[in-house]
Amino acid sequence: MSSHREAPEISKDPVADSTDLYAFVSPDQPTTVTIIANYIPLQAPAGGPNFYEFGDDVLYEIHVDNDGDALADVTYRFNFQTRLRNPDTFLYNTAPILTLNSTSWNSRQFYSVRKVMEDGTGTELAKNLASPPCNVGPLSTPNYASLAQAAVHDLGGGIKVFAGQRAEGFYVDLGAIFDLGDLRPFENLHNQYGMSVFTGPAPGVNATNRVNVHSIAIQVPITDLVQKGASGESDPRSVIGVWTTASRQAASVFDAETGKTVTSGPFVQVSRLGNPLINEVIIALGDKDLWNKLPPAGDKQFAHYYAQPGLAAALPTLYPGVFPNLAALVASGKPRADLEAILLTGIPSGIISGFQNNTGSVLSDMLRLNTAIPPSSNPNILGLLGGDLAGFPNGRRVADDIVTVELRAVAGLTFPLVDNTFTPDGAASKVTDGLTPASVTAPFLTTFPYLGVPYSGFDNPS
Amino acid sequence: MCGGRPRREGKDMSSENFTDRSAEGEQRQEPSRRSVLHGAAGLAGAGLAATAIAGTLAAPASASAAPRAHPGRAARVSSSAEPVIVHVRDVGSGEMDVFAGTSRVRLRDPGLAARLAQAAR
Repeated sequence: MSSHREAPEISKDPVADSTDLYAFVSPDQPTTVTIIANYIPLQAPAGGPNFYEFGDDVLYEIHVDNDGDALADVTYRFNFQTRLRNPDTFLYNTAPILTLNSTSWNSRQFYSVRKVMEDGTGTELAKNLASPPCNVGPLSTPNYASLAQAAVHDLGGGIKVFAGQRAEGFYVDLGAIFDLGDLRPFENLHNQYGMSVFTGPAPGVNATNRVNVHSIAIQVPITDLVQKGASGESDPRSVIGVWTTASRQAASVFDAETGKTVTSGPFVQVSRLGNPLINEVIIALGDKDLWNKLPPAGDKQFAHYYAQPGLAAALPTLYPGVFPNLAALVASGKPRADLEAILLTGIPSGIISGFQNNTGSVLSDMLRLNTAIPPSSNPNILGLLGGDLAGFPNGRRVADDIVTVELRAVAGLTFPLVDNTFTPDGAASKVTDGLTPASVTAPFLTTFPYLGVPYSGFDNPS
Repeated sequence: MCGGRPRREGKDMSSENFTDRSAEGEQRQEPSRRSVLHGAAGLAGAGLAATAIAGTLAAPASASAAPRAHPGRAARVSSSAEPVIVHVRDVGSGEMDVFAGTSRVRLRDPGLAARLAQAAR
């Protein structure tokens, strides 16, 4: 998955597990950038009576670097607090929840938003903001869409925030991919370890369909994020690097007498996410927990994983004869400078006409967005690979097919950007897990917070 | 996940009486010495109640690290109602971390470490 359960430690701590990060120039408000950080993966919609909620003991942050040092120049910090109306009932709600201040809603969550600058100075943007309830069902949460929309808070100054449950928008065929790299549309070409399990191609299956996540979404004016004076696509100051982190206090003790966990000490980072699928697929198992606790500025130590990605070496073996040029590239030992540029520094000027999202020489995993590139009137889910400069890896929009983009890049499709003597295999421009946004049942929204209305527990599974 | 207990608030729905339990909900019980020692075993360390640690901090142990807060976040000094958690990293050298509020202090006090280890047995 993009970053769901991607590392051993965080897979045991879903409340702090970042799953996806999006950053894009808002299509309906093009003077703003929308950033969405998702947490709490793979929520079964019927997971009551204690429905999903953010961690009161987790510090959630969205960081923005605007000067290329891979250190946060602007951080938005979210702290949550759960309040029970009545601790003497087991129920999440005792009657239909019609408004965010409904007295029949028992377990509610509120949050504060703080903006912190690089020098540590901070401003509280808002507090006591209501999150919406989870989508329970037609009796408990009728008119859910409008109920949740009421939890979009306008903070003034062009800033909007939302924090609550959303439909999972990331689509991926997990069941096949983690079954030894099977891609169903090509599974008849898989070596199948000699077992002849597949006789022909098959359509992809969206393993993350009909599950929910919890989103922290913020829409802010571009001018709040970029350096002063940023102007135009070619101006390096138009580019920002974005990542999200979750932190917990360093010490915790389970108090067996109260049945509660006692926490203390400084907040330490336990989860990180910038570009999709990095810690999931690029970083090796032994380094995943370390990667999650470090800031992007320290990513130089992981550069060898990008230079020689394990997936690039595996594809020719798993699909014999399908990727001969990739096999030769891997055998040559040439570092994948294309992946390093795309994922660790951003693409410099002069490579793709009218485009750059380079942040300089500091190797760091950040989701880089050139804020001067306007939203596309005709978005292509393959982003830059599809000729759409407003899509991944120029930031990431909610519908972008990042699985296919990264599969094709790793398969060698982008290597000619740095070595024009290399000819990608024909399969490199076709490989996919076979999914599209149509594989997501809940439609994306055209306005903030863009991710779809969460699936209700009553209807899912059906 | 785990963490601070939720605040209780508002109307007690089991009756028509309005009961504001916020204050009750906000109070964290100071963990008993026994319970914290129990819990800290899982950390391979030992814990003491805040009052006990306050005394040891005044002792001439060497503190090798200043209180550290999350970047951009002011260090929050522990009040008497908040837990203090001690992680004895090495009994022999007496190296230990003391967690309180949002700070961590690294101490080196072989005598205290030995007493904590003895108390945990």
